[in-house]
Amino acid sequence: MAISTRNEGAKVNSNINVTPMVDVMLVLLIIFMVITPMLQNGVSVDLAQVNNPERMPDAEKEDAMVVSVMRDGTVYFRSDKIPVDQLTQKVKDRLASQQDKRVYVKADARAKFGAVVAVVDNVRSAGVDQLGLLTDQKKTGHGAPPPPPAGGQ
Amino acid sequence: MSMAVGSGGGQNADMNVTPLIDVLLVLIIIFMVINPPQPKGLDALVPQPPPPNAPKNNTPDRTIVVQLIDRGAGQEPGVKINQEDTTWDGLQGRLTDIFKTRAEKVMFVKGDDNVPFADVATVIDIAHAAGVDKVGLITAKIEAGG
Repeated sequence: MAISTRNEGAKVNSNINVTPMVDVMLVLLIIFMVITPMLQNGVSVDLAQVNNPERMPDAEKEDAMVVSVMRDGTVYFRSDKIPVDQLTQKVKDRLASQQDKRVYVKADARAKFGAVVAVVDNVRSAGVDQLGLLTDQKKTGHGAPPPPPAGGQ
Repeated sequence: MSMAVGSGGGQNADMNVTPLIDVLLVLIIIFMVINPPQPKGLDALVPQPPPPNAPKNNTPDRTIVVQLIDRGAGQEPGVKINQEDTTWDGLQGRLTDIFKTRAEKVMFVKGDDNVPFADVATVIDIAHAAGVDKVGLITAKIEAGG
């Protein structure tokens, strides 16, 4: 009898059951993988690179008016493709309820300036006078002009 | 004796998942830390037509317009400050000279339709570097007064 009691004691498993934890981890991993590319506003374009852009944190707010111009001249308002001439109405509708009156233009580096001008014209008719031209920071390389002089004058 | 052998030879059928969890944790941390790059951009203004009864303040001689001229596909576009030809390298120095003595640092940019947008962005960037605070975009429609 004494022997059988000891035997039962030896069957206790000291390992933690990690399967639920692995499940949760996998789900978290997948969530982060899916969300990361979705965080940017508008469609993704190949932005122009410049030396000293300013930060525009408002451009990634959920209600920011981002107009994207693709290389072939197609125009997207946020993530919907629309004809350029409907842009005025779209922007006008949103402008009334908008805190940030600025329109962000996300133009492809190789887009023709004519396409951008068409967007600017239509946005201007809606009464917008502040634009943010979204660009990338140029990787520091040869021939970078010095940073802007501090202060005025 | 036989009892002792049975309890001693407890073969473990569980998989060793510790390395798997290690890898997963590291991946999760990597994805949490990567946050999308902050959006950056250049400020630009669009001149709105003045109200019809506003007094006109015409000072055309003081307006600076940088113009980008298309020289055909594959060629770097030409740059003009007002009517004066200049080079890409000399543009910043020229603009710095012009705006050194001015209080209102306003400039306009105009470009041909076929110029790539990247070149216009470069001009605006150079203007900001030269200390111009307000860069306006001029379109054909604005020029026509509409």
